[in-house]
Amino acid sequence: MAYLILSNISKQFGDTYAVRDFNLEVQKGEFVSFLGPSGCGKTTTLRMVAGFESPTNGTITLDGVDITDKAPNQRNMGMIFQSYALFPNMTVTQNIAFGLRVRNMSKADVKERVREMVSLVNLEKHVDKYPFQLSGGQQQRVALARALAIRPGVLLLDEPLSALDAKIRVSLRAQIREIQKKLGITAIFVTHDQEEALSISDRIVVMYEGNVEQVGTPFDIYNFPKTHFVATFVGSLNTAAAEVLDPAKGLLRMDGVQFFTAAKMDGLTKGDKVRIAIRPERFSFASEVKKANIVDCVIENITFLGSVVRVHILIGNSKFTMDTFNYPSLELPKIGAREQVTCSKEAVLILGAAEG
Amino acid sequence: MTTSVASVQVKTSARKQKLWAWVVFVVGALYFLLPLAATFYWSLRAEKDKLGFEAYRRLFADVNFLPAFSESIVNALAAILLSLLLIVPTAYWVTLRLPKLRPVVEFITLLPFVIPAVVLVFGLIRLYSRPPLLLTATYDSSRVVLICVYAALSFPYVFRSVDNGLRAMDVRALTEAAQSLGANWFTILFRVIFPNLRVALLSGALLTFAIVIGELTIALFMAQHTLGPYMANLTRSKVYEPSAMAIVAFALTWMALGLIQLVGRGQQGQITGGH
Repeated sequence: MAYLILSNISKQFGDTYAVRDFNLEVQKGEFVSFLGPSGCGKTTTLRMVAGFESPTNGTITLDGVDITDKAPNQRNMGMIFQSYALFPNMTVTQNIAFGLRVRNMSKADVKERVREMVSLVNLEKHVDKYPFQLSGGQQQRVALARALAIRPGVLLLDEPLSALDAKIRVSLRAQIREIQKKLGITAIFVTHDQEEALSISDRIVVMYEGNVEQVGTPFDIYNFPKTHFVATFVGSLNTAAAEVLDPAKGLLRMDGVQFFTAAKMDGLTKGDKVRIAIRPERFSFASEVKKANIVDCVIENITFLGSVVRVHILIGNSKFTMDTFNYPSLELPKIGAREQVTCSKEAVLILGAAEG
Repeated sequence: MTTSVASVQVKTSARKQKLWAWVVFVVGALYFLLPLAATFYWSLRAEKDKLGFEAYRRLFADVNFLPAFSESIVNALAAILLSLLLIVPTAYWVTLRLPKLRPVVEFITLLPFVIPAVVLVFGLIRLYSRPPLLLTATYDSSRVVLICVYAALSFPYVFRSVDNGLRAMDVRALTEAAQSLGANWFTILFRVIFPNLRVALLSGALLTFAIVIGELTIALFMAQHTLGPYMANLTRSKVYEPSAMAIVAFALTWMALGLIQLVGRGQQGQITGGH
């Protein structure tokens, strides 16, 4: 039986559904991320788990106990906020000890647990400082120590890295993941940053307009997106309308150009219109390597993005992008040149029926 | 050449502006300080042909002064306590759960500014001087009513101070953080919210103290022997003591404001600081 179960959770504000029929089972020690754009319902779902919002429908079960109607202070959840939410009148030590004092732990135990937590987040030199004397990254580490000090059933992280600069964000997310693994704690992480979610999670729940679009490992979410939204939200993607020519062979036609796909075409028949998707990095020049699909294209533009070079190409009348690693001996074609690009059958995804 | 002329013009204009700023400052300071200096000077002339603190000595020696003074202090402290107990939880709850109600609460707290003290006291006397709400029958029960009225008079100051204090911190996040750590409402209020409102609470409290300590109209009509009626009586029967009394009251008010500054210093960074 799963450790945390969210069954048919819905949340309505007036006539609007913030979350609709949300179902999820989280195993003990798992790190799950809720990923989606602003207003998709990810924070509302997290707040329902924390007890700050009551679901309109559905139940939340933690370790076999129904906690749907329990007050937030009865749930034993550690929460980390984007704004850190450290108590300004308390030092680092007092902040970390707060939850333990509330639980009436003995002074000696509080002292020992605080020492353990301070060492876990490497803040030994700052124990007597007030939050305003710490940097953003240090404040968030204090918040992490404070949340972990109470040994919570689930650690809830509400966009904890959004207010930090890029370098701190990357190092702190690695630290959070390391600590989570070390303690074996179950964690739910809310973010709108796909890179963050892909790099830190065991599983990702992609949400859009209150609905769960897809639940899967970072590998599955990136490589096998099930919906158009997931495909476009996670990573860069080329999409185009195509016509099914032979469902058995996985043959499609786009702007007069034929593509083979390895995607299942159950229920599709010849002549059906579908939307296909190909990630930019799945293309390569046919002069370097040859795969199942080899198509003619025209080079429209070339953009340098540091470690990657993005080549804008025209296949038929459709614009695509192609990413290739940047290295000193890279020979790029001239703009306006006619070239051949190639991609595997697996690279061609089908995102459902083409609209219009 | 052109640049140096322009720079000289800019410097002259800046000097003129500075001069005007000083003129305005000096005129303003004289406007406030001259009457005060005159009152102080007058209070020192109680003895013939000699400046001294005789008026102050007589004032403190008056058997009626200290009882009136202590009664006013007790009234002020009680009013502050009552006001804080009513306003802090209300402002906190409005900020946290009912932000749409803020204009309504703000309007209610402003009512003491709109209703003149005379109107207020006549209303009170009419309401509380007959059954079923006969609260002005004895001196002590009238005093309770007076304290309640003083608490109401302090609402505009206390609410604004507390509201500003609450807006300076992320009340919702702090409350939720404390809740997730297992704290109940009592712990949240007394260990998280109140300590972070220290400056705001003190500002509101000391402003209330400054208003209540010398209040005349309501205390007079309710026949209370507080500092306000005492001062009014003093002006009718004495020459120099009322000036001494005014200086003492003024000093008390400034002490109160000085305390706000003193306590406020250093805590500002804890609330608004960070990175």
